[in-house]
Parts: sequence; C-alpha cells; structure tokens
Amino acid sequence: MVEPTASLSTLNRADGSASYKCPATGYDVLGSVNAPIELPARRDALKPEDATIEVFVKPGNTTAGVGERYVEGILRSVLTEVVLGRERGYPRRGVVITLAIVGGGSVERGDSYLTVLPALLHTSLLALLSASVPLAMTFSSALLGVTKSGDIVRDPSAADAKAASSLHVLAFSSKGHLLLNESEGCFDFDTWELIRERAVSICRGAAVSGTGEDVAMGERSNDARLDGFVRETVEDRLHVDYAWKIESN
Amino acid sequence: MAQKSTFGPREAPTLGSPSRALFGKMLKEAQLSVAERDFILEALRENVRLDGRGPDQFRSLNLSFGNEYGHVKLQVGKTSIVVRISAEVTKPRDDRPFDGLFNINLELSAMGSPAWENGRSNDLEAYVTHVLDSVIRRSNALDTESLCILKGVSCWSIRADVHVLDYDGNLTDAACIAIMTGLRHFRRPDAVVRDGQVIVYGVEERVPVALNITHNPLSVTFNAFNEGNNIIVDATRKEEQASEGELVIGINNGGDVCFLSKFSGAPLDAMEVVTKSNVALEKVKEINTKVDKIMQVDLARRAKLGMADESRAENDR
Repeated sequence: MVEPTASLSTLNRADGSASYKCPATGYDVLGSVNAPIELPARRDALKPEDATIEVFVKPGNTTAGVGERYVEGILRSVLTEVVLGRERGYPRRGVVITLAIVGGGSVERGDSYLTVLPALLHTSLLALLSASVPLAMTFSSALLGVTKSGDIVRDPSAADAKAASSLHVLAFSSKGHLLLNESEGCFDFDTWELIRERAVSICRGAAVSGTGEDVAMGERSNDARLDGFVRETVEDRLHVDYAWKIESN
Repeated sequence: MAQKSTFGPREAPTLGSPSRALFGKMLKEAQLSVAERDFILEALRENVRLDGRGPDQFRSLNLSFGNEYGHVKLQVGKTSIVVRISAEVTKPRDDRPFDGLFNINLELSAMGSPAWENGRSNDLEAYVTHVLDSVIRRSNALDTESLCILKGVSCWSIRADVHVLDYDGNLTDAACIAIMTGLRHFRRPDAVVRDGQVIVYGVEERVPVALNITHNPLSVTFNAFNEGNNIIVDATRKEEQASEGELVIGINNGGDVCFLSKFSGAPLDAMEVVTKSNVALEKVKEINTKVDKIMQVDLARRAKLGMADESRAENDR
C-alpha cells in the first residue's frame, strides 16, 4: 500500500493549511483554515457559547453542487465534535475550513462522494492542526469497498468504487472510538463487522483491534497505521518549525 | 414586507433598507495604516518599491504543471493560482450551431484571503472575471469554431477553473497567464463523426489533440501613484491598496490591443496610455517567451515518458 503524502502550512494568507495527496485514489486536496474569524452575519445566535464551524468543498473542474453540500454536512458534523469551540477566544467566532480538490480525477455527477471523504477528513484535520485550533482529539479515516464477490478492498479507485456493491467510510478518534460511519450500497451486519475490523487495523493498527485476529495481515506494522501518518506529518513540521530551539539545545 | 407598511409614507427608501441590514457587515481586507501608505508613496517618489523591483518589473514567475494536461500551478511572488482545464461534449447553443463553448470560472474562496467569504461573490471576483472574459474569451484566443463536432448536435465545452490559493495583489494578470498557459498545455480527447454518430476516443486509443489557440493575449495591470507620476506594473496587495487608480491593458505578442480599461480612480494622462501600451507589449512578449520555455521543458519530459506523439500535436497544424 502506497502511503499518502502531506505537508503543512503551505499557504501564506490562511491561518493554517495543508496539502494532502492520496496515491491510491489519486486525489490531491488542499485545505485552509481561518480561525478564529469574525462571522460577517449574525450566525451565532443559536449557540452563543460555541464556535461555528463552516466547511466549504470546492471541486476541481465543476461547479459545486449537491454532492459537495452533502459531504460538507458530514465533515461539519464530524469536525464540530473534534474542535473545542468553547475554548477562550472561540465562542461566537467562526472556524472556516476551505477544501479545494486541486488534482486528480473529479467526482462525476451522480457518483459516490465517499471516495474523496477520507482525503477531505485528513486534510481538514491537518489544516486545523496547522492553524493551532484547539482539538479534543485527532482522528484517522479509511475508505473500504466491498466487491461483488465479497472481497474487501482498501481505497478502491474511481472505477472500482463504481463497480463495488457497497462503500464504507469509517473514522476513528485517537482514543479508538468510532467517530464516523458512512455506508452506501447493499451489505449485511456480518460484512459491516468485517469492514469495521479492517478499518480499525488500517487506522489504529492491530493493537486495538481486539477480536480481529485473522484480518489484515498487511497493516500490522506500526508505521503503516494512518493515525501514525497524521502524527508523523505534524512531528516533521514541528521539527522544521522549532529547528532554532532544537539546534540550541 | 408586512412590516414596511407600518412605517408610513415618510420612511425614506434610501435610509438603510431592511434587506441591506440583514446582510450585516462585509468582511474586508485589513487596511493599510497611514504611515505604511505614506511610506509606499514616499518611496515611489524616489523610484523605490518595497521589494526593490523596478517600476516595470514583474515579480518572479514560478510555473509548474500537474499530472494531467491543462493543470497549471502559477506563483507570481506570493500570489498563487491553480488552473484546471477540462473538456466535455455538449450540445451547442441554438443561435450558434457551429460554435463550441468556452467558459472561465473564477470563484474566490476563503483560502486565498480571509477577507473573502465562501460561497458569496465580491467586487474583486466580478471585476477579475470581467477582465478575463474580455481579454481571453471575447478576443477569441481560443477558436471556438474548432470545437464544433457535429453542427447543431454536439460540440466541445471547454472549461477553465481558476483556484486562488494565495492572494497578494495582481490577480488579473496572474490568472490571465495561468489560463492561457493551461489552454496551450491542454489536450482534449479526439472525436470523430461516423455515419452521423459521434465517437469520442479515449486517451489510450488515440492521441489527444491540442486546442486551437489563435493568439496569446495577456493582461498587464498598471497602478498609478502620486497624481499619476509613478506608474508601476504587477503591484502587490499593499501597493494596490495605496494606489490611486489602475489601468488594464490586454495585448498579444503581435501588439494588438484587445482590451483597455480604466475602471475607476484618479484620471490618467492620455499620453501615459500610449507609452504604457508599449511597456505592456514588452512585458507580454517577455512573459510569453518565459512560459514557452517552461512549457517546452514539460512537454519534452512528457515525451520522454513515452508520449512523444502527444507533445508534437500542437505544431501539427
């Protein structure tokens, strides 16, 4: 499995930014976060003690439509749980997350948007980290497809995703809790249980997978874990940012 | 609306209408301080710019290409843009059955500047879209008639999407360069008509074809300072904010002016317009040569990767 690549703070104007490239699905996503930002209209009246999270997904070569609105809704609900909107300086302010799909294929009208969802989730997390927005936890997310013959494939390509009988996106928090479960297509509970075990081993490694002893032999090593990938990206960035301090010690 | 009737006839319509009040305040770029503005103006009086450039000097141009054709990343100083060109087969417009479609799509998002709001257009967006439309689309830089596949039935629709990643002034010129480069770099799938049926060949089946570009117009924006005494090209965001007016000239390599506008700001001497169009021509030639060189390198690299035919396609006409 080819690991995704990412870099933090690539943009000048935004408070925080991240670029993320997933070689398996081919998507290249650029994310920016502006926070805390004053909201132009009075959108804070409903939740005076919390920050407002705004997510905007910009497709690469089409105008944003229902697919983008749908995925924005999913992202907003996940990220609202993750961002600590009650920290000092955040209530009644906005956290504006902009995600642009700048490379790779585009999601055709009518195709499933789940294929991009993990890339969008990872990009927004990295951008939030880059903007130093207080977070309750980090997370990692995996896309799994079930083929007609019942095999579970990780990160199916656009063509595979179209042919798959069901698609699943699962996200796990850094504490191991299931944070997001989006599924599309036909499947039964047993399949879903297999999917969950596979996703846990992809995101969190085998250490926490519990019962799943016979699944996912490939993802056992610690460095292939996705939450490890998020951690390493941030570590690398910190190493560069604090070079002055590390050097002087 | 029901509320309005209770105000009676004395309510003046000009006094903050209720719909206006609903929108609330708009986000704005941080303003220049008085000291900063004076510093820029005073320095320009002595012919010095903040970044040490000459008045007719562009910032460094950094151009690169993505994996697909027509995917351009352009950096002009700290202004950074990604342009993606895409093509699809559609039905031509009823009044122009021989013409294909070409659209430039620019949507400013909060990524480029915190002052831009997602999903809501602002003045800059409308302005830049207008200039790009005039310079590239209406000057017929892309020959839309060559996009026709079958009269009145099907044609290519070419779409240029501009993503502004970082905004530090001179969006128009940067977007112009990026779109023109993208159009020249792009290859569309081959399509033929057989027995009244349109067949579109995949990229693997047939060599994709380059678009028919008639000329290479670019816009050059001039900003005026100190009652028109200092006129500079490629202003940064701070210089734009301190500027008293601007002049946009769209011109191609042959020296044909296809767009000239003086939208607002302080008046400018007529002679300046003439001299500045000469400067613009010089700049456009310079930029086009630079872009050509980088594009040739990229196409040569693609040729090495076993796509020799595709890179040659542009000069086959």
